[in-house]
Amino acid sequence: MVRYLLIRLGLTLLTFWLIVTVVFFLMRLAPGGPFDGERRLPPEVETNLRAAYNLDQSLPRQYIDYLAMLGRGDLGPSFRQKDFSVNELVATGLPVSLTIGGLALLIATTVGIAVGLKAGLAPNTRTDTWLMGLTNVGMALPTIIVAPLLVLIFGVALGWLPTGGIGSFNHYILPPIALAMPFTAAIARLTRGSVVETLSEGHLQTARAKGLPESLIIRRHILPIALLPVVSYLGPAAAALLTGSVVIEQVFELPGIGRYLVQGALNRDYTLVMGVVVVYAALILLFNLLVDLAYVRMDPRIRLQT
Amino acid sequence: MNPLYILLSRVLLILVGCWLLNNAANSAESLRLGNPGEPETLDPHRYNLRLEETILTDLFLGLTTFDAHGQIVPGAAAAWTTSDNGLIWTFNLRRGLKWSDGEPLTAADFVYAFRRLLAPETAASLAYFMYPLRNAEAVNSGELPAEELGVRAVDEHTLVISLEAPYPHLAERLLYPTGYPVPAHVIKEVGDAWVKPKNWVSNGAYRLEDWQPQSHVTLVRNKHFFDPATIERVIYHPLANEQSSYNRYRAKEVHAISNFPSGELDRIRKNLASHLRLSPLLSIVYLVFNTTTPPFDDVRVREALALVIEPEILTEKVQRSGNIANGSFVPANVVDYDPAVMPHLHLDENARREKAITLLREAGYGTDNPLRVTMRYVSGMEAKKTQLAIASFWKNIGVETQLHHAELKVHFADLRQGDFQVAQAGWFGENNAEHYLGLLVSDTGNINYGRYANPAYDALMAAARQQADVNSRNKLLRKAEALGIAEYPVVPLYSVTIRRLVDPAITGWYENSRDVHPVRFLGWR
Repeated sequence: MVRYLLIRLGLTLLTFWLIVTVVFFLMRLAPGGPFDGERRLPPEVETNLRAAYNLDQSLPRQYIDYLAMLGRGDLGPSFRQKDFSVNELVATGLPVSLTIGGLALLIATTVGIAVGLKAGLAPNTRTDTWLMGLTNVGMALPTIIVAPLLVLIFGVALGWLPTGGIGSFNHYILPPIALAMPFTAAIARLTRGSVVETLSEGHLQTARAKGLPESLIIRRHILPIALLPVVSYLGPAAAALLTGSVVIEQVFELPGIGRYLVQGALNRDYTLVMGVVVVYAALILLFNLLVDLAYVRMDPRIRLQT
Repeated sequence: MNPLYILLSRVLLILVGCWLLNNAANSAESLRLGNPGEPETLDPHRYNLRLEETILTDLFLGLTTFDAHGQIVPGAAAAWTTSDNGLIWTFNLRRGLKWSDGEPLTAADFVYAFRRLLAPETAASLAYFMYPLRNAEAVNSGELPAEELGVRAVDEHTLVISLEAPYPHLAERLLYPTGYPVPAHVIKEVGDAWVKPKNWVSNGAYRLEDWQPQSHVTLVRNKHFFDPATIERVIYHPLANEQSSYNRYRAKEVHAISNFPSGELDRIRKNLASHLRLSPLLSIVYLVFNTTTPPFDDVRVREALALVIEPEILTEKVQRSGNIANGSFVPANVVDYDPAVMPHLHLDENARREKAITLLREAGYGTDNPLRVTMRYVSGMEAKKTQLAIASFWKNIGVETQLHHAELKVHFADLRQGDFQVAQAGWFGENNAEHYLGLLVSDTGNINYGRYANPAYDALMAAARQQADVNSRNKLLRKAEALGIAEYPVVPLYSVTIRRLVDPAITGWYENSRDVHPVRFLGWR
C-alpha cells in the first residue's frame, strides 16, 4: 500500500511539473504582452515595466526563477491586477469557486443518485423512461445555454433571484444548479445502469429469501456495489465541478478563480494564469489521487492486486 | 490546524460575510454603478484604463478637476498663473486641504507625487502624460535624478511647474490620475501596500473602503473633503459583458451601467427612454494604411479606397448604435478647433466612384488585375459588421478584401509591428487636436501604425508645439491636419458614443464629451 502510494505520488508530481512547464512556455508564445493597454507606451516606460516584472531576463532564467518561487509557495505578483499578489487573488477567488463547485457537487450527487436509484429499481417502467428522458435533456443542454436561460427566467423576468455577482445567500442558488445539471444527469444514468445490473446478482435473492426489508437491501446490498462506478466518476467530476466553473463564473460574473483564468489569459497576465493553472492542476491531481485511494478501499479486487 | 478546516471556515466566512455585506449594501444610501471591467490598479500613478480613471476621479483630487459637465475647473489648486513665455505655471493651492486621515495636504505632496510618477522604479505606464514637464523624460528614463524634475514647492500653498516647451493644455493634462497626489506619509510607512483598503488614504470626495477583485470596489465618503458629497457610499461592479450588464440593470441590481448590447437600442428608446444616456466621446475610429509597403505606399490606392467609404452608412444603417460619422482625423467635438475634413467629401457618390476607379487604373489595378487586400480588425460583432460593409464598398470598385480578426491585444501588437496592410484602429481622450494629430508625426514611434512620414507635416507639428497661445497653435495644427489628410495615411470613420442606462432617480448626471460623471455631484431625486 505504501509503495503504491509513493509511486502514485511521484507520478502526480511529475504530471504537475509537466503541466507547469507546458503552460509557462505556451503563455509566452501567445502574441501580445501584458503591458499592451488602451494607450501607448514609450520605449523608456516599457523598459521600466519589464524590469519591474522581471521580464527583462532571458526566458530560461524566468522559468527557473518561476520554479524557485513556486517551490516557496509564492505564485508571484499579478502583472495586471497590480495591487494584488497572485496568492491574494487565489485566496479571495478560490473560496468562491469552491463554494459554487461544492454546492454543485452536493446537488449532482444527491439528486443524481436519488434519480438513478428511483429509475433503476423499477427498470423499463414509465417512471424510468420519463426520468431517463429528462437526464438525456440535462446532458444534452450545454451550460453556456442553460445558465443565461436561468438568468433570464429567474433573474430578469421573474425577479426572484439575482442575475449575477455575489453578495447574499440568494446569489449562490442559480450558479450551482446550472453547473450541476449535466453532472446530475450523468450520475443518474450511471447509478441507474449499475443498479439494474446489481439487481440481477444472486446475493440479492438470498437477502430477500432471508426476509430482509427492502430498504435494508437497498442500503446494504445494492448501493455499495452499484455506487462503485459512480465513485470512480466522482473523482474527475468533482475536479471538473470545482474547477470547471469557468463558464458559470463568466455568465454569473462571479469573482472566482475561473474568471481570473479567462481575464488573465486575455490580458497576458502570465503569473495569474500560471497561478490559477497551478491551483487547478493541484486540485485535479489531488481528486484523482483520492478517488484511486478510495477505490482501493472499496473494491477488494484492487487491494489484492497491489 | 488542518488545511481543510481552514478552507471550510473560509467558505463559511464568505457566506456569512456576503450575507452581512448584502444587508449593509442594500441600505438606500449606496449607489451601485456598473463599470465596464475590473480595475487593474487603484494606484493613480500606475493606472492605464478609462474604467480606472472613473473610480480614481472619485478617490482623488488633482490640481485641476472636472465639474459635473466635464469642464475643467480648479481642483486642489484654487487658481493658477502662466508666465508670458508659457513655460512657468504657478499654482496656488486651496487653504485647509486635508487627506482622508485628517493630515494636512501641502504643495510638497504634489512635488512628491510628480517625482514618484516619473521615477523609473514606479514603472508608470502613463508617465509620459507628464513629459511636458521640464526634464520629465530624462528623469523617467533614469538619466537624471528625480530632484531635477521641473516642479517645486515655494511654500505650503504654492507649487511651481516649469515646462520643456510651451504647453497651453497643461490644465487638461493635470486632470488625469497621473497628476494626482499620493499620501507620502502612508507610502513611506507601508510601501506598495498603501493601496490596500486598510491602509488607504486619498484626498478626493471618497476613500476606498473595500475591494474584492471581480466583484466590487466600495468607496465611502471622505469627511475631510472640502466639499462633502451627498451620496454616502458608492459600489462599482465590474460588468464587462454587455448582456449581463443589461440583465443586472433590468433586475435593478445596479443604478447605472456603461454598456449594453447595441441591438437593444431601439427597444430601449421605446421602453426605457428616460433611462437612456448617449454621450458622444472625444474619440476617433479610423482605418490605417501601412504606408511603407505595396499597395498602400501608393497614395493613389489609399485615396481610391477612402473615396468610396460612406461613414454615415456605417453608423446609421450598419451599426445603428449611436456612433457619429466623422470626416476629420480630429474628432468634430473637440472645442475651439475647426477640423480639416477629407478633401473628397464635397463630391457626390458617382463622382467619387469614378475617380476611385481611375486612380486604381493609374496605379495599375483593374478588372484583369484586381487589387487584393487584407483588412484587420478587433474581434467583435459590431466591428465585424462594419468591416464587412467597408469590404462591400470596396467590392464596388473591384477590390477584393480578405478580413482578418484578432483579439484586442494581438491586433494592436500586430499593428505596432507594422504587420498589416490596412486595419481598424482607434484613439480617444483629450480635448486638443494635437493629441490626435501627434499620431501621424514620423518620430512618434510604433503607434504611428502606418509609419506615415511627411517632412512638411512634421515641420508644421513642430512649429505648432512651440506656440504658447492656443489659437496660433491650433492654426498651425489645422494646416498640418489639412496637409496630412489629403495624403490619406488614415481614413477617419466615426466617433464612438458611450451608451448608458441611468436610473432616473439619480440627479446631477450630465452628458459630456469626456464621459465623466464624478459621484460627488450626484444625488437622489
